[in-house]
Amino acid sequence: MDNGTDAAEGRQSEYALVLDGVRKSYGNREAVHGISLAVRKGEVFGLIGHNGAGKTTTLRMISTILRITSGSIQVCGYDVATEPDKVREIISYLPEDAGAYKDLTGRAYLDFISKFYTSGEAQKEMCGRGMEIADLGERIDSKVDTYSKGMMRRLLIARAVMPSPKLAIMDEVTSGLDVINAYEIRELIRDIANSGVTVVMSSHNMFEVDMLCDRVAMMDHGNIILMGTPEELKQKYNAENLEEVFVKAVKNNERSH
Amino acid sequence: MSDLTNIVRKELKELLTPGSVISVVFMMVLFAMLGGLIGGEVEKAKVLPAISIVDGGNGEVTLPDGGTWSLEKSVESIYLPSIPEGASISDFIIELTSKKTAGGSIDYADLQSQMKAAGTACAMIVPQNFAESISGKTQAGLEQFYIYEPTGMFGTAPSSVAATIAASLNSMLSRALLTEEFGPEDYSFYINPIDTGSIGTMVNGNYVKDVTPGAIANQVSSQTMLVPMVIMIIIMMVGSIVISSMGSEKENKTLETLLTMPIRRTTIVTGKIIAAALVGLIYGLAYMFGMSFYMNALTSEITSGVSLESIGLGLGLQDYAFLMVSMFLSIICALGLCMILGAFAKNNKSAQTMTLPISILAMIPMFIIMFSGWYGSSALVQALLFVIPFSHPMIAVEALMYNDYMLVISGIGYMAVFAAAAILVTVRLYNSDILVTGLGQNGFVQKLTGRK
Repeated sequence: MDNGTDAAEGRQSEYALVLDGVRKSYGNREAVHGISLAVRKGEVFGLIGHNGAGKTTTLRMISTILRITSGSIQVCGYDVATEPDKVREIISYLPEDAGAYKDLTGRAYLDFISKFYTSGEAQKEMCGRGMEIADLGERIDSKVDTYSKGMMRRLLIARAVMPSPKLAIMDEVTSGLDVINAYEIRELIRDIANSGVTVVMSSHNMFEVDMLCDRVAMMDHGNIILMGTPEELKQKYNAENLEEVFVKAVKNNERSH
Repeated sequence: MSDLTNIVRKELKELLTPGSVISVVFMMVLFAMLGGLIGGEVEKAKVLPAISIVDGGNGEVTLPDGGTWSLEKSVESIYLPSIPEGASISDFIIELTSKKTAGGSIDYADLQSQMKAAGTACAMIVPQNFAESISGKTQAGLEQFYIYEPTGMFGTAPSSVAATIAASLNSMLSRALLTEEFGPEDYSFYINPIDTGSIGTMVNGNYVKDVTPGAIANQVSSQTMLVPMVIMIIIMMVGSIVISSMGSEKENKTLETLLTMPIRRTTIVTGKIIAAALVGLIYGLAYMFGMSFYMNALTSEITSGVSLESIGLGLGLQDYAFLMVSMFLSIICALGLCMILGAFAKNNKSAQTMTLPISILAMIPMFIIMFSGWYGSSALVQALLFVIPFSHPMIAVEALMYNDYMLVISGIGYMAVFAAAAILVTVRLYNSDILVTGLGQNGFVQKLTGRK
């Protein structure tokens, strides 16, 4: 018993996120089949996999909005199932294809969100930080409705990062963006990671994951079939890029089933 | 042509969802039921209501040619053709005898209790000097006396029937008298031997002169119709505001975002409800203000200008306060229901169909209250009305007029419990997966539809 507590404390100090045998069922269908992983503090961790592999479900469970069927998830030592309120204080979640309240301006949106975290001068400061990250210039005072996809994504990332979360969870953050916008968003995520925030992101884009992530986990049909640094994985499969690794790993997985 | 068929088929598939079909069928059943209800009211109104003849013995007139004219017999002759088979005339014409007060006038309170025992709501009082006046060639009075009972749209028929009978009696007696030779100076008496102008009605135990129940009912319904209509409009409007806001929150994933932030679920739910309820209340007051002008313009020409305040049916400041509380709570209940329904909406479009059950629930009490009123409804209908939270402010107007505070307060209590329950259920839903995944991922629904 004592050893277990020690282990938990040890994890607390080193890991921002620990998943242990996490399963998720929708009715009779199991979408995630008991996955385990640990993300170190300050790491950028990528979840890759095809559509329906269970990435979004996993991210939603970490973000406290889907209940875990069995297993456990800990964020900085807090249990997602039993201490969701504590977890919500230290995470930021950016859903795929998310939008903002259309009638608000970018500034008003950041102002609205920051008021949930702090008040007074600190709130103004947080809002200012958000605007700095969004970097929308004069358009920060335009209605969100008029924003392009790239501008919207910048605003939402700013919203997610301005409260200085310990763990930022981003689902397909560059999907649907053009080359320039996607590049800028990646730069933004790199900055966020450099500032010490742990980032867990999902993506289809292997090139992006290769560039951004310290470590990646590959998901297929609700299982993690591979985990390691991009370099390790490429070496293991004798591949030039992660895409190749992914294809080989999926085929191996199919063969072994 | 095949392209057209293709498009039409795809559109139909999209438009005819199980939800929309169910709501259309429900509407059909609802209107059929309402038709039955109205039909019943009209049917009830068609049969002549029972009438009491008070002191009928005074109505035996000796005609100049030596014959007699009997008021009672004449009334019987009016009733006979319309008596249903198997019924007796004595079920429709009930003879009563009035008592006098110390001052010598008729004791209306006693008469009211006699009539209630006999089951009649209208009476004709034949004055003692009726025969004497006719013989003396002066107009004889014939007083119409009513008990005002709150009923719906068609419940006011008795007052027009009694007036018609009085008019018929007038012409019958006139015909009977016209066998005699008469000079020009008597003309007005012979064509109008009975003065039918004397009318009185018992309202809430008070005798009110020169007012028919019909006139009161008109005035009451001009007041009570307004609130049900306004409530229905507000509930439909506010409901669709909240549901479509839920739909767009889901579509933009703003709700998903909000749920991962350090905000309590109850705060999110209550915040949404309070804001929408305030908007609803503002809409409601604006509509009431506007529509009361409209209704006044519409009804002032028709009604006889009965002042409800003067007959004890007016609403005081305290009554309006009750009404506001009742309205506000019913809006909260509606919003609570909308939040529950909205939680199941996948997007903005599916949210729109979710407003239908709310609209139907608001329409049922509106129609029932307008057609038969709370007091005119059967116990079963009353139970149905009570269960639907939106009925209560509609009922409250009527109940407050008759000082039925028990009904209003129990309605408010019921709505408070209903609203709290709706908020709790919504919070539970917000804590479940349904909000994010929709119903398709629910085990029970999967079993039901056989889909995975």
